[in-house]
Amino acid sequence: MIRFDQVGKRYANGHVGLHELTFRVRQGEFLFVTGHSGAGKSTLLRLLLAMERPTSGKLLLAGQDLSTISTAQIPFLRRQIGVVFQNHQLLFDRSVFDNVALPLQILGLGREEIARRVGTALERVSLHDKAELFPADLSTGQQQRVGIARAVVHQPALLLADEPTGNLDPRLAAEIMGVFEDINRLGTTVLIASHDLALIARMRHRMLTLQRGRLIGDGEAA
Amino acid sequence: MSATRVPPPKPSERVGATRKAENGRINDEPDFQTLLRAWLESHRASLIDSLRRLARQPIGSFFTCLVMAIALSLPMGLALLLDSVERLGGSWQRAAQVSVYLDLKASEQRGEALRDEIAAMEDVAEAQWISREQALEEFQQLSGLGDALRELPENPLPGVVLVTPREIDKARLEALRLRLAELPDVNQAQLDLLWVERLSAILKLGERFVFGLTLLLVLALLLVIGNTIRLHIENRRTEIEVIKLVGGTDGYVRRPFLYMGALYGLGAGLLAWAVLAYGLNWLDQAVVRLAGLYGSDFALLGVPLGDGFSLVLGAVLLGYIGAWLAVARHLRELAPR
Repeated sequence: MIRFDQVGKRYANGHVGLHELTFRVRQGEFLFVTGHSGAGKSTLLRLLLAMERPTSGKLLLAGQDLSTISTAQIPFLRRQIGVVFQNHQLLFDRSVFDNVALPLQILGLGREEIARRVGTALERVSLHDKAELFPADLSTGQQQRVGIARAVVHQPALLLADEPTGNLDPRLAAEIMGVFEDINRLGTTVLIASHDLALIARMRHRMLTLQRGRLIGDGEAA
Repeated sequence: MSATRVPPPKPSERVGATRKAENGRINDEPDFQTLLRAWLESHRASLIDSLRRLARQPIGSFFTCLVMAIALSLPMGLALLLDSVERLGGSWQRAAQVSVYLDLKASEQRGEALRDEIAAMEDVAEAQWISREQALEEFQQLSGLGDALRELPENPLPGVVLVTPREIDKARLEALRLRLAELPDVNQAQLDLLWVERLSAILKLGERFVFGLTLLLVLALLLVIGNTIRLHIENRRTEIEVIKLVGGTDGYVRRPFLYMGALYGLGAGLLAWAVLAYGLNWLDQAVVRLAGLYGSDFALLGVPLGDGFSLVLGAVLLGYIGAWLAVARHLRELAPR
């Protein structure tokens, strides 16, 4: 599903974000990427989302080379990816329903189909009774679940999450991780960037450890 | 909370994960029907969204349209005024005549014979004989020097044949004037087109001025609309970033802003049309009164329907282009590096 071959990212100011990273992720896998702040977790996610391009090496996502992908192809690639942000990135002038419906509107599905799929996605995160509310009416945990519903409503092949439990208490964080595991069981590859080692250890999934842009560990969280 | 277990969707419902080719590559080529449906739905949603956003700020939207309308109506109004003056100049030009002054010794009969001879010429539409007596009488009436002229020992004015040419072509007129000047008993043939040339030069200067002003105001309009759209973009920055991250194309991001620019243009165009129609009508009353004092039935044209539609169409295009430029700049900032 994902193949990093000697992937490096050097910025114009000389800072090295990633240093010759090499690893593979199988389809349907659940893995964490961990490391301290500045380790390169976010850079790795930005490369997978084609927000940035590698400056060296080869990065393949489902056979597509992200080093050479054309700008016109990027939106179609991103339609196969779901992304969850630490700060939710919800649109506060739109209802929960409209926030979750956004990827489907971009895909151009009919209104009835959108309503059905949004209903299913909200049910999956237990927010089916909050569809008409606005994000400001929800708690932080509920907002994060709206973000997850939006990320999975179009049933992507890959789900990326950047510190999805960063602002949540341990109980809520565990619940959110449960949602990710459910999504993973449906066949979606899940890659979560997190520095919450205690939480990762409880989950017992594969963990990549980054330090200053280098991969220093690859194995199941202990 | 625990996540509600929902049965997995049927493979045919999967938008993302199951739309994979056998070799494992993500199938990123949507079919034509999906693309067309997405395109139509996106246009409908973008138009409604843009209308809602403009309606949510009615005063701000109105003033933006008004600023654009004023900028549009200035060059358009000047162009319409120039059109009217050109029309007036044209009618005067058509009335341009060659005055053929006869020798003082030429008799009344000789004058009439000359008139007939000139009237038969190919380039001449009409020839009119004005005898020395008629000329003096007319001069006395128009000049207000009747008493003084009566004191003169003899009539100093020659007989004149007023020649109206068929066409106003400077070279042909000059040739005609030379032919007339060479006729026997003709003292002088005078063609006074200087005022027409001056008027023409003034009108050409006016046209250049209007063209320059139009260019400047079009630039100003693009800046106004670009800046307005830029503010809308800034207010929706998060939304744009999210749309891009969930797979929105540049076209999808751009669309609501293009509609907004076009709607601003439409509003401005209609307002400019109304401003011009009212302004020219208001001015026309004074112009008609002034023209009446000179015995003319001249009146301003108003805004012809075709020009009005061109104005609105131009304004919509300007709004569209201004919005396009503003969004393009923003999209460049979001492009992967």
